[in-house]
Amino acid sequence: MTIKIWTLAAFLTLTVGAAHAQISDADDAAAFAEGLKNDGAADEGATNQDPWEGFNRKMFAVNNAIDSAALVPAAKAYRATTHKKQRKGLRNLLANARTPVILINDLLQGEFKRASETASRFAVNTTIGFGGMGDPAERMGIPQHSEDFGQTLAVWGAPPGPYLFMPLMGPSTIRGGVGSIGDIAMDPAVWIRTDAAKYTRYSRAGAAGLALREPLIEPLQDIEDNSLDYYASLRSFYMQSRKREIANGRTNFDDLPDIGDFEEFDELE
Amino acid sequence: MHIKSMLHRLGVAVVAGTMLTAAPALADDEAEHFIQAVLDEAEPYLDAPDQETQFDGIRQLVDKYVDMRRVGLFTLGKYARRITPEQKQVYLPLFKEYATGIYQDSLSTYAGEKLNVTTSIDRSTRDIIVNSEIIDAEPGSQLATMVVHWRVYRTRDGDLTIVDVGADGIWLAIEQLEQFTSVIANNGGPPAGVDALIADLKEQVTE
Repeated sequence: MTIKIWTLAAFLTLTVGAAHAQISDADDAAAFAEGLKNDGAADEGATNQDPWEGFNRKMFAVNNAIDSAALVPAAKAYRATTHKKQRKGLRNLLANARTPVILINDLLQGEFKRASETASRFAVNTTIGFGGMGDPAERMGIPQHSEDFGQTLAVWGAPPGPYLFMPLMGPSTIRGGVGSIGDIAMDPAVWIRTDAAKYTRYSRAGAAGLALREPLIEPLQDIEDNSLDYYASLRSFYMQSRKREIANGRTNFDDLPDIGDFEEFDELE
Repeated sequence: MHIKSMLHRLGVAVVAGTMLTAAPALADDEAEHFIQAVLDEAEPYLDAPDQETQFDGIRQLVDKYVDMRRVGLFTLGKYARRITPEQKQVYLPLFKEYATGIYQDSLSTYAGEKLNVTTSIDRSTRDIIVNSEIIDAEPGSQLATMVVHWRVYRTRDGDLTIVDVGADGIWLAIEQLEQFTSVIANNGGPPAGVDALIADLKEQVTE
């Protein structure tokens, strides 16, 4: 059975970060809804969010060229030479290495309960989880959550800004892009200035790229095969999943395009 | 006495306040039953070991319950009113074929699983969201926490139809709308853009 579109959707939601942070008010969701409702011109929601579509599409093409020439073959080789459990172990390890960044962002958002969960996970998984290869914390009922500086900026009230697609970075917004730079700075490993640390950083970045790309081989191929406009399709999946993420994992049905649009079609015979 | 009447007033105010602020979206039993019946009908198909039976079953159910004409026009966004009758005649059957394929692809994700209706929210009396979840999904798996949404439309005659399906807040018709309007806009808008969309759909469907 092939992995389906929604697997990717769920994956996007996870990787983009299941933000449970409290987001105050008019944010992406509202802006997105505003766009969707725009005098019945539902598609303008997308274009309003994507004023740099021309640039983004060029970057998207660059990304896809690198992707099919290098990333996908590497991800396939990685899959062929490793066992499923090893790959799971690596994903756990990388997730554990990201914990300090999550912790800082939990704290910056004033989410102290989540911060203590993050700290406990790090302690448990680094020790009895063999440095993070295993995830005993999950079984102990301390769930993993994701957090990043882009989310923190959202909590602080920064507007998302336009949709932005960057090669190798994938879909984001200006706020998300600035957030990524913040996350890099928050990583303790970045501040250790030795050659060994430098190699570790590069290997980690490479491993992270593979670990992230490998489970997406089929879902992304699936979307590309099934879409008329791959760029618009991914943008929509990203925007929709992000909207939910901003709403702290709750699905908000108020923002959907109005069914009045459907109703009018009664007359359109 | 004075205090009692104050308390009484306060009580009334609290109740009124709750009613005003909470104003919960009401559930729609009929829509819930409708979707549960569709899910029950889908169960044997999803249980089928081979994909052909699964796909045939999903196609039958889509034919029966999804209002493809309405969805097809919806996915054109603002261009729905600018499509020519000739274009519409070609577009609608192509859309139906394309969307049915997406339904088959998406819903067969749940092969071997059983979906049950959990809640519903009425955005209006004619526009209802019904949520469903997988029962007995493998703990820790992606499916275990996934919510599958159904957007149900009540026609003027009171008949219920499905107009969209989503998972964890991601809707298929909305994604199609964004693709289609993008194709139309990037090909010079109607009528040429619609022709481009039709050509793309043709290619997709015949692949």
